[in-house]
Amino acid sequence: MDTFGIWVAAFLTLGIISFLYRDNPWYKVCESIFVGISAGYWFVTLFYDNILGLFWRGVTSPDPHYMLLVGAVLGFMMLLRLVPPIGWISRWPLAFVVGATAGLYIINYFSSNVMLQVQSTLAPLFSTKFGQPIFEASLYDTIGNLVIAGGTFTGLVYFFFSKEHKGVFGGAARIGIWTIMITFGASFGYTVMSRMSLLIGRMEFIFGDWLRLIR
Amino acid sequence: MTMRGANRPFCRFGLSFFIILLLPAYLCGQESIAPPSKVVAYDFKYDRGEAVELSWQLSPDDKGNGSISGYEIYRAEDPLDSFISIGFVSAGTSSYRDKSVYKGQSYRYQVATSSDGHLYFSEISAAVVPRMELINWNLLNLFIIGLFLCGSVIFFISHATRGKKLFIRKIAGLEAIDEAIGRATEMGRPILFVPGINDMDDVQTIAGITLLGRVAKVVADYDIRINMPVSRSLVMTTARETIREAYMGAGRPDAYSDDMVNYITDEQFGYVAAVDGIMVRQKPATCFYLGAFFAESLILAETGNSIGAIQIAGTAQPAQLPFFVAACDYTLIGEELFAASAYLSNEPKQLGSLKGQDMGKLLAMIVIILGVLAATVSQMGGGQFFTDIHQFLSNIFTVQN
Amino acid sequence: MKRQVPVIITFIVGAVLIVSVFFPPAERLGENFSVFFDIIAVFAFFLGGGNLIRIHGNKIYRRQKDWAFSAVTLTGFIVMLAAGLFKIANPNGITGDVAATGSLFQTLYYNIFYPLGSTMYALLAFYVASASYRAFRAKNKEATILLIAAFIILLGRTPLGVYATGWVPESFSLLQIPNLAIWIMSSPNLAGQRAIMIGIALGVISMSLRLILGVERTYLGVDNE
Repeated sequence: MDTFGIWVAAFLTLGIISFLYRDNPWYKVCESIFVGISAGYWFVTLFYDNILGLFWRGVTSPDPHYMLLVGAVLGFMMLLRLVPPIGWISRWPLAFVVGATAGLYIINYFSSNVMLQVQSTLAPLFSTKFGQPIFEASLYDTIGNLVIAGGTFTGLVYFFFSKEHKGVFGGAARIGIWTIMITFGASFGYTVMSRMSLLIGRMEFIFGDWLRLIR
Repeated sequence: MTMRGANRPFCRFGLSFFIILLLPAYLCGQESIAPPSKVVAYDFKYDRGEAVELSWQLSPDDKGNGSISGYEIYRAEDPLDSFISIGFVSAGTSSYRDKSVYKGQSYRYQVATSSDGHLYFSEISAAVVPRMELINWNLLNLFIIGLFLCGSVIFFISHATRGKKLFIRKIAGLEAIDEAIGRATEMGRPILFVPGINDMDDVQTIAGITLLGRVAKVVADYDIRINMPVSRSLVMTTARETIREAYMGAGRPDAYSDDMVNYITDEQFGYVAAVDGIMVRQKPATCFYLGAFFAESLILAETGNSIGAIQIAGTAQPAQLPFFVAACDYTLIGEELFAASAYLSNEPKQLGSLKGQDMGKLLAMIVIILGVLAATVSQMGGGQFFTDIHQFLSNIFTVQN
Repeated sequence: MKRQVPVIITFIVGAVLIVSVFFPPAERLGENFSVFFDIIAVFAFFLGGGNLIRIHGNKIYRRQKDWAFSAVTLTGFIVMLAAGLFKIANPNGITGDVAATGSLFQTLYYNIFYPLGSTMYALLAFYVASASYRAFRAKNKEATILLIAAFIILLGRTPLGVYATGWVPESFSLLQIPNLAIWIMSSPNLAGQRAIMIGIALGVISMSLRLILGVERTYLGVDNE
């Protein structure tokens, strides 16, 4: 990066950080630049990747993929929104997208989330894994296994919609939400450090690349 | 065909490679390393004819002591073309799936033990021809369990349509939506609705938009300002259509304006920078974050906190849920996001679908109890019966690729 | 026609995709449909980009509050579009790669887009701190549990955790914070993740079925019947 580029990047970096104090014109300038530049960046990238790279090359290649024309027709229909009398046609590509998303998601989530997660939970309580001798597991392993099976079970109880959370069922649901809260806490604690390293990265730029106070 | 033609130079290269490596090994007479045996190649079943499964018996010298680095896989097109290397697997591995084959072409394979830079070749396998099957019988279990899940959702939808009363418990975050909108009315401030940063090809975004439909109805009734910055063009057009319909339904089509929904930028953090700006300048009374969120979740929720807005969030991104839980007033956790629109619609058909998905949970819970008990009893020497039950449950919940 | 056709399209496309998984000759259909979406999304961008120009253009034209910032946005947008589409200052000319080193597009990316994006991302460090403080004032039992778990995991990843509980005898090694952190990650955390993931999947299945069957059609701007 040349000197001018570094100064520009430093100006923008500090402008964004200034938002932590309060909204101010410096931040507004940075925000406006960011919105404009990034919107343009993504249009250019999508244009080259999807329209030229995917569609145009696909249709004009020696072994043309004419199926891609369906995508272009659907895309064109989307633009008909700009013609009010027939703007309703733009619902068709939308309906296509939603139908395709629903169909794809059902299968993907079913196999990777339901099947895999249930299958992984089917482990013995007093062992490290199925097929291994029972005495190999420590007390900690056993408690862990119990927590995994019980936590998954009660977590599912919490998500039950068609039964009031009362009595034993309510008790199980409460254990379920506690398990889920431990999960959230663990995830939260795990992320804190990595977020700090992001800031360190920017500080290195300010004090190293720009101010040259650190090497 | 073009691809196979392009492989010709590689075939020659492969042959030279083969001779160069084999010859010194032969001359050195290192008979101490045995090649793998019983190399069997068979068509990978129930696919488009694009894979061959290969298995072999490990070299007797493969004892995990590092004397063997692994196995080099060679393939030749039938009738016998030259063998070329197509892959390498580490020592101790006795199978390989070749995904670079063409449907209908015949292939033969050879596996070589690789040790100290030398190769020791197995016998050549029998020819195999990859074929396409019409039905993927490997997914029969997926089909049956899927049929149960989808069947129960459809059953309860039709059950509810016939007028049967279904009980659905209260969901705290959803009960709070009216309260949150009411607050905006009292304060005379706008509502901010953020549908996440993914496009309409994410079912979370669709769930967010369906919730927007419910929120927009109340907004239209009470004449509250709604501001919806979006990061995807398709979401913009869909959201506009949804809000416009809500205003039409409220009998106030003139009050609707396209300016309620604005495209900002596709860029994640550019979008966040702009939404943060909108928040601190417009000071919305209520912020909804319903859709797919990533690292920006906490930036948005904390900025919302700083302006004192009531915040209701919902996402199915497990990694972002903790931040919403910590920073928002109410959070719809995963499944609750998808249940929300059905719950708020209060339509029997939609509520029926919630009862249907509960059947899926019930199935999962029963299988977990049975499977864990069977595995535990089997482990404690409970006998073959329990081992079989565990194996059966484990098998039917395994998806084969 | 206006209301029924989209519902029928959603039904056919969704149902065909579900069924296609079980038939190898049709299993690539999902990939094809994803490609269609990529193309549709670019066309849709003309609407989004058009809206961006209209909104900011109007603001400038009417000299509304903060119109100067709109001018900055619009200028940035147009400059980036021109830099990319006309490959301005591209060392390899109009046939070169759009992001070639030295091109205006690449320069703008590295000197403006990248520092802005990474700084915005880095702000998370501050927000994580303020959210932690908020969680610290745990208002109820659930929030307290979240806080304790987060605290243990955080300590477990720092040397402080080792020093703080290093004195705990080996026979109670689980109570040493680094070990406790590992146990939380591998047991209760795993259980919670599984319950959430199974729940999400069932929610997705139910939601998708409502969409495919036309029970849920709010997204079309059509009221459910």
